[in-house]
Amino acid sequence: MIRDIEVVAPRGHATDSRRPNLLGGDSDSEENRLPIKQDPLWYKDAVVYQVHVRTFQDSNADGIGDFPGLTQKLDYLQELGTTALWLMPFFPSPLRDDGYDIADYRSVHPSYGTLDDFKKFLTGAHERGIRVIIELVLNHTSDQHPWFQESRISRDNPKRDWYVWSETDNRYKGTRIIFLDTEMSNWAWDPISKAYYWHRFFGHQPDLNYDNPAVREEMWQVMKFWLEMGVDGFRLDAVPYLVEREGTNCENLPETHTILKDLRRRLDQEFPGRMLLAEANQWPADLRPYFGDGDEFHMAFHFPLMPRMFMGLKLEDRKPITEILQQTPEIPSSCQWCLFLRNHDELTLEMVTDMERDYMYDVYAHSKGMRLNLGIRRRLAPLLDNDRRRIELMNGMLMSLPGTPIIYYGDEIGMGDNIYLGDRNGVRTPMQWSGGWNAGFSSADPESLYSPVISNPVYGYQAVNVLSQKRSEQSLLSWMQHIIRVRRSTQVFGAGSIEFLYPANHRVLAYIRKLGNEVVLVVNNLSNAAQAVELDLRRYKGQILIEMFGKNLFPRVGDLPYLLTMGPYQFYWFRLRRI
Amino acid sequence: MSADLLTQQRSVPPRTEAKLAEESFLTDDLIRQLINVGEVDILVGLPTHNNGKTITPVLQAIQAGILKCFPRERVVIINADGGSRDGTPELITGASIDDVRHAYKLHALRTLHAITTQYGTTPASGPALRTILASADLLRAKACAVISPESSNIDPEWVARLLQPVYRENFDLVLPVYQRHKFEGLLMRQLVYPMTRAIYGWRVREPFATDYAFSGGLGSQFLTDNHWDDEAGHSGPELLLTLTALTRGFRSCQTFLGPKGTSDRGSSDLVPAIRQTVGSLFSSLEPNYPVWSGISGSQALTTIGPESEVTLEPLRVNRKRLREMFCSGVSELQSVFASILMPETLAQLRLLGSCTEDEFRYSEELWVKTVYEFAAAYQKAVISRDHIVQALAPLYRGRIFSFLSENRNATGEMVEANVEGLCSEFERLKPYLLEIWNGGK
Repeated sequence: MIRDIEVVAPRGHATDSRRPNLLGGDSDSEENRLPIKQDPLWYKDAVVYQVHVRTFQDSNADGIGDFPGLTQKLDYLQELGTTALWLMPFFPSPLRDDGYDIADYRSVHPSYGTLDDFKKFLTGAHERGIRVIIELVLNHTSDQHPWFQESRISRDNPKRDWYVWSETDNRYKGTRIIFLDTEMSNWAWDPISKAYYWHRFFGHQPDLNYDNPAVREEMWQVMKFWLEMGVDGFRLDAVPYLVEREGTNCENLPETHTILKDLRRRLDQEFPGRMLLAEANQWPADLRPYFGDGDEFHMAFHFPLMPRMFMGLKLEDRKPITEILQQTPEIPSSCQWCLFLRNHDELTLEMVTDMERDYMYDVYAHSKGMRLNLGIRRRLAPLLDNDRRRIELMNGMLMSLPGTPIIYYGDEIGMGDNIYLGDRNGVRTPMQWSGGWNAGFSSADPESLYSPVISNPVYGYQAVNVLSQKRSEQSLLSWMQHIIRVRRSTQVFGAGSIEFLYPANHRVLAYIRKLGNEVVLVVNNLSNAAQAVELDLRRYKGQILIEMFGKNLFPRVGDLPYLLTMGPYQFYWFRLRRI
Repeated sequence: MSADLLTQQRSVPPRTEAKLAEESFLTDDLIRQLINVGEVDILVGLPTHNNGKTITPVLQAIQAGILKCFPRERVVIINADGGSRDGTPELITGASIDDVRHAYKLHALRTLHAITTQYGTTPASGPALRTILASADLLRAKACAVISPESSNIDPEWVARLLQPVYRENFDLVLPVYQRHKFEGLLMRQLVYPMTRAIYGWRVREPFATDYAFSGGLGSQFLTDNHWDDEAGHSGPELLLTLTALTRGFRSCQTFLGPKGTSDRGSSDLVPAIRQTVGSLFSSLEPNYPVWSGISGSQALTTIGPESEVTLEPLRVNRKRLREMFCSGVSELQSVFASILMPETLAQLRLLGSCTEDEFRYSEELWVKTVYEFAAAYQKAVISRDHIVQALAPLYRGRIFSFLSENRNATGEMVEANVEGLCSEFERLKPYLLEIWNGGK
């Protein structure tokens, strides 16, 4: 599908192959103040940056990142090439699950600023052509939410039926427990109410009762509150679990889809051009219904692909990647997969076989401290042994496989993690801006930071920080900026079809991305050793290959298999041109 | 036995350009396929020639064994084909791993390669093994197995039993031990095993194996040895590989695989089998004389699982025909035997030829002397060496007639005891071999 839409082009974009100077002092120039273009499918070409406001920049020296701080860093995000920001929950919360336990849906946690601060941030982002996706937890609230407090206090309270209560803990027996490390049951006893309440996540996160029309209406009103303010989309957390039914596993139920479709219908009617992103850690075939006929979610995370990219890299074999993408069903043309390498959670291994999980643990998390639930709580750079070539290759695949890439904050500079912090906090440490006080994150006393900064000699802020990487065109940050710019130079990566080539050399993952007349060949060497690969490109006989990063010409395609030699972990993006 | 001769330190030469040049006999197509496979941990060789009837289950068992026991390792199956006309290579390249995954409920982590190459237009185990070894060397395989396409009883466990000792326990050679019927595998049990044991001092049940495994180091060493143009290297390299391991201090062991599948080869295949096995054994003696001439007695080889297992179910054998062929052979090959055997041995054989069926007994001592005299004659090349080996066939039939008669009602233990007795006789008479070898008689 070709769209007659102009892509927003920040400075240095389009066909300019020069790497922009990140130290350039003109970041506030008028050129950068580009408005958001009206594009109903903007999310398909987006480059999303995921960040928690708490982690990015502290403006008031209280040790906690906030919206004014985040606003200060919008230029950085724009220069990186980011076109959308995904903000993790920033609502008032007891923070027993890093904000996923919301106590008030219509406000901002006081540690992060005020509603006005958020509005200023939103305006600043839009001025820079950056859309904002906020996170909404539909499935459950904090047990501190006033709704739950009312619900538990009396069986006659109007809010009683806003949650799922039971006299016994024997209902919905076929439902799995998600947080195996901490939860024994999906039911928790409430001593005040003297009844059990249902929770799919932590016990302090009671599930809302979506069979209650009042709950459904209220959650739409919450969404409307933020949409009217101008947010561009929602990442809806834990959507498979909205409805419970006896005799099922209480996941992906038709009733859940009906509710989600209704939200989408209202969104399209009242706020066209806004976007819904599903967080549903499911197999592709189970995820497919979340797109509906283009009338449910616009986007969904492709959870099973991510561990297989890591697996393919370690195995030096494309099989895990091609296999899962072969199993990935077609989705409506207006929909999109979201791809990511790492995020704020553990690298989830729910969507792999037992054998694959054992392998992943052995090769990526040899220490027990690196494991959490069914996953690995590590950042990208440490997972890849801080090997620049592998980091680049993985990002190259992230940017060229079908879907919208999401970059987790700090991974663009190769930040490390701290596995000695509990839960998933090891990958949520302060952003490392400089080698100075608190990594430039905050001027507060180090002891008062919400989390210690990474300070070891390899990944510590003195070694890995934005300021030092800005000074080098060869830094990971500069390279990330470059690859984002190349990706954004064409719509083929966001909207094009994919066709895998299957060269006999299984260490090479090669595919053709195609959109209209535009054809891009991507070749990835997953191996630690140099490889020769022969590609069957006879269909493109006569066309010239143009390497997209350096713009250099490669030989014309002829009748013989196209021979490429590739260095360890090297990848190529070629634009095919008939001249 | 002389311990110093059995504990020689192995020395594996480094992989050099000069050595790699040895592998230039590989076809360009195979090289291209090997490039695509890249470095592997494990290589399984599958030499074939017109094995279309059995190859699919054998291949599936190998694949299942790999998926089950080596799911993380980089593995390639290399089919070296000797010019099949029944589509055997096509069956291999066309086999889908999905069939195995579904049949055995297994999951593959990585690509399992199966490539095929034709080393010639006529089957020969030497070029087949050489192709497999060269491929293993180029791919730097740590452990290799060769599995017979006729192993119809193969179980996926075979893959683990053969390869685990090499891959995980640092053995260099793993030879099989099979469960056999008491009257099967007699060429091995009446000649090759006891003679190899007496000569080289190791109790190797299947020195001429068709299912075996070896380390990359042993494979590389064997590949560089200049024996590929010899008759033994051409037709019986398996035995030479065993002897290379035993005589150069490579760690070797045996592993029990269970019942060996029986091929449908008839008695007409005996002469080729003798030429291949006994010919190779005889031809190995001269170059290895400095090693074996100082060895006496024998020692056990590390064995994983039972050292032998004998089954007793009724088996119809045409014993009468065996004795008839012995008698006609003794009569017709008088002049040949006269040039090979000592006069007293020949006289005893003539006497046997005139015995009735009830009187006929080809004793162990006479059999051992016969074999040793043939070996010495082979070394001296008194006549064509090929004729010498072929001439052993009728005498072997006489010995087998005796063995079958004596063990008709024997239990498995009794049969094993008799084999052990024969081995002892080979060991006891080894000085006799040395004497005639050195021209003392």
